[in-house]
Amino acid sequence: MQAELGIIRLDLLFEAISGIIALMITYYATKAYRLTGQKKLSDLSTGFLVLSAGMFGRVVGTLYFITQYGEVGSNLIISIVTIAYGMSRIMAYILFVISTRPTKTHFEQEFQNNTDVSMLLMATFLVDTSLEVLAILVLVVVVLQAVLNYMSTRSKFARYVLVGFFLLLLSHILMAGAETSPGLYLLSQGAQLLGFLSMLVMLIQAGRD
Amino acid sequence: MSRKRAYRSKMRILADMMRAIQSEGEEGAGPTKVLYAANLSHDRLKQYIDELLEKELVIEQDPESNNRVYFLTEKGRAFLREFVRIERFSEAFGIEI
Repeated sequence: MQAELGIIRLDLLFEAISGIIALMITYYATKAYRLTGQKKLSDLSTGFLVLSAGMFGRVVGTLYFITQYGEVGSNLIISIVTIAYGMSRIMAYILFVISTRPTKTHFEQEFQNNTDVSMLLMATFLVDTSLEVLAILVLVVVVLQAVLNYMSTRSKFARYVLVGFFLLLLSHILMAGAETSPGLYLLSQGAQLLGFLSMLVMLIQAGRD
Repeated sequence: MSRKRAYRSKMRILADMMRAIQSEGEEGAGPTKVLYAANLSHDRLKQYIDELLEKELVIEQDPESNNRVYFLTEKGRAFLREFVRIERFSEAFGIEI
């Protein structure tokens, strides 16, 4: 019991730190959008805002219901928080797919192909009930786009983002296996935190003169 | 398949012009230098130079003379530094600005 609570508290700490980093990226993307008017930066900003809102919602919700009511807390409300959290992440990842979509001039791809991928993901979103599997599916697309971006630019900033998104994907894969092996739960949260820390390093380095 | 020229936002064009001026250092840059460095037509150059002057990002030495030379202001240098940061951030996510 003590160990379980320890895992939960560490999980919430990791989640809160990740949420703060997501908010920092939101701020920077908004600032970049205001200066350039590039719509994709606005989508990116919204994606990270939704992600951080979901994370803080989960932290506050879990703290409130578990610390206030302990084991007798409402399972229904916990389930609602969990589903809302999962949905917010998927919405954020779909926004990442849209905002980090490669441009035609980079890869000589037809715009229609990309639209088809996004529409396919949206369709899957409506029929599939497993939020974790959905998150993995959408994040695979995000990671592939980050790989393409890194291969075309070879920039260290793109590498940090690629590592960040890859670790987020890894965290969802680990989370999917957490039911059978609870130890994977904390590993999953650790991978998520490392992913956001990688993006924080990118933010710091990109902001240097 | 033909390779299309990448789209340049207005901010990128202004930044390219300011980089051309900055690269000339204390000597400043003339309109021809800016025109070639930023890859602009003459009409566009005039339009954007007017905008840079209006926003006080560059100053023009001796506006009455035929031999015009442009210099970056402190505000212009600060803008360019900020633009470079945003350019790196956008590049990290594969977003062209």
